[in-house]
Amino acid sequence: MRLVATLVVIGSFIVVPPLHHVERGSGGEEFIAVPPLHVVERGPGGEVQQGEGQWTMPAKDYAATRSSGLAAINTGNVQRLRAVWSFSSGVLGGHEGQPLVVNATMYVVTPYPNVLYAFDLTQEGYPLKWKYRPYVSPAAIGMACCDVINRGAVYADGKIVYNLLDGHTVAVDAATGREAWKTTVADVNKGETTPMAPLAVRDRVIVGIAGGEYGVRGWVKGLDLATGRILWTAYNAGPDDDVLARPEVFKPFYDRGADLALKSWPKDAWKTGGAPVWGWLSYDPELDLFYYGTGNPAPYNAEQRPGDNKWATSVLARRPSDGTLVWAYQFTPADNWDYDSVQEMILADLTIKGRTRRVLVHFDKNGFAYTIDRATGEVLVAEPYVPVNWAKRVDLATGRPEVDSSKLTGASHGLVKDICPTLEGGKNQQPAAYSRRTGLFYVPTNNMCMDYQTSEVTYIVGTPFIGLNAPYKPGPGGNLGAFIAWDAAAGRKVWEIREKYPVWSGALVTAGDVVFYGTLDGWFKAADARRGTVLWKFKVGSGVVGNPITFTGADGRQYVAVYAGIGGDWALLSGDVRSDDPADVRPPAAFMPDLARHTSLGGIVWLFAL
Amino acid sequence: MAVRVVAAAPLLALLVSSAQQPVPPSVRYGEHVFAGGSPPPAGSLQNPFEGDRQSAAAGEKLFAAFNCDGCHGGGAVGAQGPNLADGRWRYGGGDGAIFHSVYYGRPRGMPAFGGILPPDAIWKLVTYLRTLQPATDEATVSWIR
Repeated sequence: MRLVATLVVIGSFIVVPPLHHVERGSGGEEFIAVPPLHVVERGPGGEVQQGEGQWTMPAKDYAATRSSGLAAINTGNVQRLRAVWSFSSGVLGGHEGQPLVVNATMYVVTPYPNVLYAFDLTQEGYPLKWKYRPYVSPAAIGMACCDVINRGAVYADGKIVYNLLDGHTVAVDAATGREAWKTTVADVNKGETTPMAPLAVRDRVIVGIAGGEYGVRGWVKGLDLATGRILWTAYNAGPDDDVLARPEVFKPFYDRGADLALKSWPKDAWKTGGAPVWGWLSYDPELDLFYYGTGNPAPYNAEQRPGDNKWATSVLARRPSDGTLVWAYQFTPADNWDYDSVQEMILADLTIKGRTRRVLVHFDKNGFAYTIDRATGEVLVAEPYVPVNWAKRVDLATGRPEVDSSKLTGASHGLVKDICPTLEGGKNQQPAAYSRRTGLFYVPTNNMCMDYQTSEVTYIVGTPFIGLNAPYKPGPGGNLGAFIAWDAAAGRKVWEIREKYPVWSGALVTAGDVVFYGTLDGWFKAADARRGTVLWKFKVGSGVVGNPITFTGADGRQYVAVYAGIGGDWALLSGDVRSDDPADVRPPAAFMPDLARHTSLGGIVWLFAL
Repeated sequence: MAVRVVAAAPLLALLVSSAQQPVPPSVRYGEHVFAGGSPPPAGSLQNPFEGDRQSAAAGEKLFAAFNCDGCHGGGAVGAQGPNLADGRWRYGGGDGAIFHSVYYGRPRGMPAFGGILPPDAIWKLVTYLRTLQPATDEATVSWIR
């Protein structure tokens, strides 16, 4: 493993905490060296590995663990956590995603219009170093299915790289805020939008599109980190040449044959078949594979696309250098319920039946938690983590779910009643965390069921391609959500914290054995990672749909950051939380009529410390 | 939510290309402030189906068939696009203003349908939306028991 270390120098006039030592530069000026915060190292994938004090990529590390080694805040003192700083983003869209902290600077990307803020963490009050305000076409507002969210940026090679909603990827100099490059990657006029957070591996930036509700043809693209040039495009459906499936390399564990992603669709249906990429990407440097999940096949009416519809609702493993597909596995063949599979793939080494296995763990919208051999795509464990009734079990020999035929949908089925989970999923975009210390996965979940009626729908470019009526209702127990701890080797729930509303924030777990998450009604909570007891909570001003992070400040103290700002699907489903448009007044959601009593739209970055 | 009963494909074939239709004149928005207190000249747009129930029913089918409900929700109560059934309008609530919103589109993602829908079809959509107006504007939401 080659590590390149760079010492970053910051200015004087800083109150130097005891942890740091003061040095003199050649001109006699004072500067401080803060090893955990300012030493930038590179791992085998080119990722920055500057110790535990920074947060340089969406999920903390390539394995997507959202786990921090910081332990100054722990189960013994988290009760004393307090808010120390906040900042309004000036934007009211759903604040999904998370900040980055690199070189004593905190970077925040807002929802549309995708402003990038750089906060100077060495100065009192954390003033801005700069802000970057790109032009983003307002057409994207109407082409994004589910609010105008953004899931965050990645730091690589001195640049902050992120997606603008209207189909552009930009790289901004992390020090100066100057635009290094801007690449058009998607066509917003065809319903392609770009809310996901890119993955950076060595000299590649990998991005994908949303648009499963607009009949897009889903893809991932590999860009040159230095120039932004598009080097390869890999479609998720269509002929092998387009999917980058080469027979000598592509070895799915459960499938054989050529053109699987073409033959599992009716003629031409794959051209408007969805399979978008709007979730999270992870990467294994040893296998040199990156992993991502794909969204629903379009349209929702499955009778317009008979077949398995590969590789929609699937996980795909590709080479970052050229996009080559190495294996793929489909969680929900012939999806009848909008069970996207874009949720994160968390990489871990687990002991399963006495053997250590290199696995990825995935909590699918379809309600099953999958533990999969990440070298081969073999499913090792698949158990429900929320109430599930559309399938009885997953057959590990074939990898296929045993579907309850009474829950099949389609235009000819009319209104199919009481399907669990809903199309919001047992979990949606809200990413889970994994602690190597406890061996547990921490999972924000939804507990809802639905009726589902699809109808014949016509593809018209630039308009939705949906055809659905699907009222929701609370799942068993009546609580709409829960925050759970999951044993992915055994496939069982270890503890749960029931929540009144769906838990739409991500999770963060630390070496202090504290796990953090937020709620839709605006509480930010800390729980004991081993016992599942809530130790602390604070009302942050708006529902939390973002993901907490932690870092070491310039003063050497541990901080926890999270966005408040309800939105995402809840801007649609609970439109009564909006107050920003006098010409748009929405009724409350029938299944959660009182949410607007507890929260309204917002957009606030919060920092907490002891 | 309303139930979709008609797909657009067969309808598209029946519709006359808008290229053969006269372009509608500009309209005046009553919501706008008039500098000097003087309203600018504008064309007049008359809804030929105003209040006609059959046209409203046809408009409801078009609302589903042309994917309007994909953004505005079943019953037009709002989703990613705004609520069209609350009696309040971002871009003007007169029949002509609504016609213009559908025909030419609006900048925040409302597609222009004037290229694929003839004026008669758009007037039917307008007539349908008119039937959704609430009798009274409910400005207050209260949780007091």
